[in-house]
Amino acid sequence: MNENQRVQQVLSGNTSAFAYFVDAYQDMAITIAYRICGNMQDAEDVVQESYVKAFRNLRSFRSDSKFSTWLYRIVYNTAITHTKSQMWIGSRAAAMEDASQLADNTLEINMNENERKEIVADVLQKMPTGDALLLTLYYLEDNPVKEIAKITGLNEPNVKVKLFRARKLFKEMVVSNYGVQITGT
Amino acid sequence: MDKYSTQKEDEKFRQILTSARIEAPENLRHRIMQQIETEKALVPQGTKRKKERENNMLREMGAIFGTMYAVLGAMVAGVYFLLGEDFLLSPQFIGSAILVGSIFSLLWLISRLDSHLRETKKIR
Repeated sequence: MNENQRVQQVLSGNTSAFAYFVDAYQDMAITIAYRICGNMQDAEDVVQESYVKAFRNLRSFRSDSKFSTWLYRIVYNTAITHTKSQMWIGSRAAAMEDASQLADNTLEINMNENERKEIVADVLQKMPTGDALLLTLYYLEDNPVKEIAKITGLNEPNVKVKLFRARKLFKEMVVSNYGVQITGT
Repeated sequence: MDKYSTQKEDEKFRQILTSARIEAPENLRHRIMQQIETEKALVPQGTKRKKERENNMLREMGAIFGTMYAVLGAMVAGVYFLLGEDFLLSPQFIGSAILVGSIFSLLWLISRLDSHLRETKKIR
């Protein structure tokens, strides 16, 4: 059964069919919300509110786009409203200053899984919210630039530029904060 | 070559950032579904209540104005047979008919107000 059929099921009154969408996308939804809100409590509230909004407005979901993109857009907007933050203005300059040591083009973190996880979480936390979110959307969910543009409301060239800068900043911050380079094992 | 190195870097990023995925707490699904079920349960109840209210209003209106027309009909018939057709068009009779109409309208207004107050109290 594909997602459009499931949507039709929910619309025809089978509420429990909506659980599929909760199971399938709640992890990514909470990751997005956490990147924007910065704490788990708010992220959980945002995700809950977003799913309820999605359920209420399911009739407005057009089946020509992916359900995940539509849902993540709701999560993104709800989180922005919740935190009253401005996503694409601000703190990159400060983060760049911290990352005083410029990294070369290699990306090497040669260490065990837990240490690596800690470093990645810390660096993403310290990065400007928008940059961390773009990396999350692009690499965690394999969203193409087009889908990211739909979620964030930015245009495609803008997403590409910001993504390039975010990658660069991430590498620089790993080097400057931990003095290591990242490698996959 | 450039494309190859970009792909390779993308692959490394993907591998590294996989660990950044946050898992939703177990109770979140339950919270979401519970809120959705509650909302769904509340919506038809609201519609039902609205329908019930509309039915009550119509019933009240029918009873009050039905009685009013019955009284007016009885008055017309009585006056016609006892005092003749001319009295029906006299200002005294028209005044009496308007008085009866006003009394019943006032009665209907009072019953509407009463129902409204009861409804508000019930919602609170």
